Amino acid sequence: MRIDETHRVWLVASIVILGAATAVYVIYALAAPHGPSGGSPIGLVFGFTGFGFMIYAGLLGARKKVPIMRLGRAQGWMRGHLWLGLLALPLILFHGGFHFGGLLTSILLWLLIITVLSGVFGAILQHYLPTVILERVPMETIYDEIDRVRDQLRVEAEGFVADLCGGGVPEAEAMALVPEGGIRAGGFTAMRPRGGGGVQYGLTEAEVEPVRSFFQTEMLPFLLEPSAKSSRLGDDTRAVAAFTKLRMLAPAAAHPVIANLENLCEEERQLTRQARLHKMLHTWLLVHIPLSLALLLLSVFHAVIALRY
Amino acid sequence: MSTLFGTFLGPMVQLTIDGKEVAAPASATIFDAARAHGIPIPTLCHMQNETPVGVCRLCVVEAGGRVLTASCVRQVENGMKVVTNSDRVLAARRTLLEILMSDHPSPCARERQSGDCELEMQARNHGITEIRYPKRYFTRPKDDSSLAIAVDHEACILCDRCIRGCNEIRQNLVLGRMGKGAGAGVAFDLNTPMGESSCISCGECMVSCPTGALTNKRIAGTELPIPAGAVPAEPEDLLELPVFKGVSGTFLEMNKGAIVKRSFHPGDVICREGDFGSTAFYIAEGKAAVSISTPMAHVKTHGGAGGWFSRLTSSLIGRDSDAREEETSQGYIPIDASVDLAYSNPVAELGPGDLFGEMTCMSFYPRSATVKALTDCTMYEMLRNVLDILLKNKSFRARLGKEYKRRALETHLRGVPMFSELSPDFVERLMDNVKLIRLSPGQVICKQGEPADSFYLVRIGFVKVTETYPGGELVIAYLSRGDSFGEIGLLGAGARTATCTALDHVELVKISADDFNAMVDQFPGVRRGLQALADERQRQNAERMAALGTISLDSFLGQGLMEAQSLLVLDLARCTRCDACVRACADAHDGITRLVREGQRFDRYLVATSCRHCKDPLCMVGCPVGSIRRRNSLEVIIEDWCIGCGLCARNCPYGNINLHPFQVMADDPDNPGRRIAMVKQKATSCDLCTEHAEPSCVYACPHDAAHRVDPRKFFSELLGTKV
Ligand code: HEM
Ligand code: HEM
Ligand code: SF4
Ligand code: SF4
Ligand code: FES
Repeated sequence: MRIDETHRVWLVASIVILGAATAVYVIYALAAPHGPSGGSPIGLVFGFTGFGFMIYAGLLGARKKVPIMRLGRAQGWMRGHLWLGLLALPLILFHGGFHFGGLLTSILLWLLIITVLSGVFGAILQHYLPTVILERVPMETIYDEIDRVRDQLRVEAEGFVADLCGGGVPEAEAMALVPEGGIRAGGFTAMRPRGGGGVQYGLTEAEVEPVRSFFQTEMLPFLLEPSAKSSRLGDDTRAVAAFTKLRMLAPAAAHPVIANLENLCEEERQLTRQARLHKMLHTWLLVHIPLSLALLLLSVFHAVIALRY
Repeated sequence: MSTLFGTFLGPMVQLTIDGKEVAAPASATIFDAARAHGIPIPTLCHMQNETPVGVCRLCVVEAGGRVLTASCVRQVENGMKVVTNSDRVLAARRTLLEILMSDHPSPCARERQSGDCELEMQARNHGITEIRYPKRYFTRPKDDSSLAIAVDHEACILCDRCIRGCNEIRQNLVLGRMGKGAGAGVAFDLNTPMGESSCISCGECMVSCPTGALTNKRIAGTELPIPAGAVPAEPEDLLELPVFKGVSGTFLEMNKGAIVKRSFHPGDVICREGDFGSTAFYIAEGKAAVSISTPMAHVKTHGGAGGWFSRLTSSLIGRDSDAREEETSQGYIPIDASVDLAYSNPVAELGPGDLFGEMTCMSFYPRSATVKALTDCTMYEMLRNVLDILLKNKSFRARLGKEYKRRALETHLRGVPMFSELSPDFVERLMDNVKLIRLSPGQVICKQGEPADSFYLVRIGFVKVTETYPGGELVIAYLSRGDSFGEIGLLGAGARTATCTALDHVELVKISADDFNAMVDQFPGVRRGLQALADERQRQNAERMAALGTISLDSFLGQGLMEAQSLLVLDLARCTRCDACVRACADAHDGITRLVREGQRFDRYLVATSCRHCKDPLCMVGCPVGSIRRRNSLEVIIEDWCIGCGLCARNCPYGNINLHPFQVMADDPDNPGRRIAMVKQKATSCDLCTEHAEPSCVYACPHDAAHRVDPRKFFSELLGTKV
């Protein structure tokens, strides 16, 4: 979530809560004869409050499971999550009097620290990365569709090359490529003009050869495995160089086709970039979520034990 | 001996052929005389039933002169000494075959299909294995436009057999010669693609062609499975039918697998609405009922007024109880048969001589209606190659063409309120004057800016209407069965204001400017109606033009978006692509999401409404009953008679259209007369959860990225700051 002026209220409230808690803590810590302790009345208040904030933060996951239940807008929950989750850390530190205590409490505190830090990290990613995707991946598609779009790009590229160089996909194979239902829904698939279809370029074998061999040896492998580091087509500047060279080798009549191929490579790179950014934007949750759940469970355990004995 | 030359012989002459004394009528050719006496002479350009032209020179013989002579054209003379197989003759033939072969794409299509390309056979027979002459350095085109016949000019040896077959034997006058020298070839009409020419697919040219230049098309799936109760249709039977009159028997024989004769008993379902298919049916005997069984209704979402568990529910509501803005008021449903169905009672009867399933067969659209046998019926079920033969048949066109015109004029003209005042005798006059024209995919019907000369009714297929703007082309509409176009140009503008192109196999009823003018003069009400329509369309055009003076086409489409009631936009600088919105949408609509995070972008916003106002609204192509169309605001509306075939959902590139299943009561296919619960589908798109205070997706977005906005305010701010 982007941290913008809509967070002002939360920011102010959080500072107030933190300030008040610090004040209480300082007075209480100085006044307590044995120093601050989780078991003291004030320590328990910190413990309960901090725990409450953590539970609230954890409930975001539950809330997201029932999106249409009118429990308040998801973005309200999200803002609360960020700020109260963040406040949970100082409150619990006040609760434990900045001691790590025994094994269980140490584990708890570390879990909390990692969860909160990972959360902060995630929040930073969410603040910046969407804009990066927006700017650097103008041809963005739906993440789950990336593989399908790639298949389409390859078929399209093969089509361009076949139109220019002749030959190409034998009919039987071309038919096999048509997705189930595609042919039957003839209205769309069968009638949509394919880019460059049937254009006569009037070039000889020898003239189109550079394009063909470039496609076979370099571009097709790249299209089949676009994230492979080895291909220069995966790199913006080196790809420009590769295509500039190809343009010099091929006659002018073939240049429109080369431009199309270049665009397809550009789109491939954008898709690779999109996949990378998308993963970045979501993988940190693999740390944040499991740890937060462990934290909540162990906290219950700690609270029960601590109160009983 | 007289039997060899028929009955009328005229004076006889005596000559020797290969040393044998023979007698022949003075009018006979050497070839005929030799053949009559069992002496073979190879030929290529000559055919028994065609006038000999002597162009290939393969039949050369020695007849005493200084040079060899072509025996197929040379008349016999008294005392002539003919040698058909001397070394000189054989050498000449070999050279000739070698030259022809050097120009031949061996093995050609015919050789590959049946191993009997006459040229290649002759070459083999003459022991030609190696060709010493250089190949031609340029290529000749192929023409794939006919559904039944493949044309490969590469393989043409210019023997003119096809031309004579077409013109002499069938008298169709379609084929001729074009070009000179190395560029010479055969041509259909004035060198138009075969499929678009006046060719009637009788098959004579193909049967005449000695090589693979004209071959029978074997498109994938040209063999129909023979279901129970069906027998393969024999060419002899077919030739008995008036609709196949004049077709070459050999040609029918070749396409035998593509047509079967089927019998049905009363109650049998012949085809069901929404099913996919590839065949058309011709009713030879009996009657059948054609109907639409889906309820006439659209999807409406209710509920969600309050409470925590406010799940929405959708149900079907007809237009009597829930009239939406801009629904059509038309009283009939266009279907893929020669009749249309009344909205109030969507059932009609088909009888002998009727044809249905043309669109399914030609363009693979889903079946538009259910057809059930009413009596015992005999029908011919055929694939598109045979349908094409039939549709182009002269006698078929003469018979059914009239019927089609009448029905098209009755339902499409008189059925539309605007034309209702036309008198029966005027319709009668139109019937005699209007023309049925057929177009193949991609053919342009009229161009923006051209002078207007006629008014059209769409009988079959889809016509794409586009306007060109400085920033590109915009598809204004896809017209389908029952729609009309061309009035603006005729009512004053003088020139066409849009380009109309056939998108698939289209058939139009063409009303000439004269008849059109007579109509509007005689019936002032019609003129007023048309004028109002034309004015409205022109006003919209002018508005679009004016708007486009300042902005790009894309932004213009954005303006189209502005007309929408409200819009859903995703702020891409905030959106973490978590898909919470999509899941919420699915949760709100019985598990089927109507939201897909893809579409038109403006600045940093992704517009995700029910419809993205595509430049080219592909969803509209192919709806077999014409129930999906653009509103004036460019949004999509789905009319109540949608049969739920799902084609539009598949065609929408953004997945913005969904099929919503409903349980309804319908006729039990196994027990005629009984009704059972069945699942029917209806197409629907995003409704912005209008029943909720806030759309579910907006409510569920954790990142404040999804917003519902008032398009006017939103875009004026956006465009205002951007432009
Ligand atoms: C201590 C308490 C915390 C707990 C128990 C907790 C728990 C969770 C859980 C269970 C989720 C998963 C929600 C889902 O199912 O999508 C989540 C997501 C998240 N958390 Fe926390 N969290 C805590 C603290 C924080 C803090 C301090 C921050 C940041 C300042 C933070 C930022 C986030 C973010 C950005 C998400 C992703 C939400 C989304 O993309 O929809 N969390 N957290
Ligand atoms: C309802 C919630 C909680 C209750 C009732 C509670 C209770 C207690 C009590 C009674 C003690 C004192 C035990 C002692 O001094 O040996 C204590 C200490 C502590 N608690 Fe909690 N606690 C709660 C939540 C938490 C949570 C959520 C965390 C951490 C994530 C936490 C971390 C600690 C730590 C670090 C200590 C200090 C141990 C030490 O000083 O040796 N507590 N808690
Ligand atoms: S819920 Fe919001 S953040 Fe998530 S994908 Fe939808 S718009 Fe983007
Ligand atoms: S609106 Fe869509 S689902 Fe309904 S009949 Fe037309 S194409 Fe089929
Ligand atoms: S065309 Fe607009 S949504 Fe399909």
